Amino acid sequence: MTIDPSVAGRVYEPQPYEVGREKIREFAEAIAETNPVYRNPEAARALGHADVVAPPTFAMIPVLRGFDILMDDLGIEYSRVIHVDQRFVHSRPITAGDRLLTTTTLDTVRSRAGNDFLGIRCDVATSDGETVCTATATLLVRAEGAIDG
Amino acid sequence: MAELEVGTELPEREFGVTRADLIRYAGASGDFNPIHWSDRVAKDVGLPTVIGHGMLTMALAARLLTDWAGDPGAVVEYGARFSRPVVVPDDAHGVIVTVSAVVANVRDDGLVDVELTVKVDNQKMLTQARAVVRPRGVE
Repeated sequence: MTIDPSVAGRVYEPQPYEVGREKIREFAEAIAETNPVYRNPEAARALGHADVVAPPTFAMIPVLRGFDILMDDLGIEYSRVIHVDQRFVHSRPITAGDRLLTTTTLDTVRSRAGNDFLGIRCDVATSDGETVCTATATLLVRAEGAIDG
Repeated sequence: MAELEVGTELPEREFGVTRADLIRYAGASGDFNPIHWSDRVAKDVGLPTVIGHGMLTMALAARLLTDWAGDPGAVVEYGARFSRPVVVPDDAHGVIVTVSAVVANVRDDGLVDVELTVKVDNQKMLTQARAVVRPRGVE
């Protein structure tokens, strides 16, 4: 499919996400992290964090929810999507108890040989407006029928 | 993190990734793209078989940084390009992802630029894999 480039600039409704201790623990286990700062609030506080702290790529959870909304809006089938790049700039670590609001913006749409490249930015802030993380990504939406494997 | 100068190498690590690990990561992250768990769908879209989540590879690579710094909060910037899919066979062993890293720059303010190398079978899976790390004691 070719995505109409005029959709670039769309900003999606901010999505709430409340960070829980058990979710941080589950995510840490999924990436085989054994550091107690992901499980034990005392260990995290010893390093100066408010509560158990999230791994550096944990922000992907709220970011993915933003991607989901964007995909739904543009009618993109997930199996045709390839993650090209991802970057996080953290203003501070995410910790359990954070109430996050993630605003997703479709920055750019480029087409090449029937494939579409989407440049997406997710601004992750607290519900009080404190910036937590800016995540930028490029997604490739493969052309229908482009079976080249 | 005793020594901090350009060229300092972080200890290389190997991480095994099996299909079970992909299922676990899908659940933990919420990324249920079927190319990460269904052979049928992966082949339908032209992939050889199921591939790992790029974000799982990136998360495993970050363990070098967090273990080195001693604090996950020390990783202030982190990015990578997923240059090659990590093909994960449906067997007991999966694949081995090898991660190494080197200090590329020490900034005037104490922040450290680190470049990571992430390989499977000696081929790079990530390119432009870079992080900015705040060593302990640096505000």
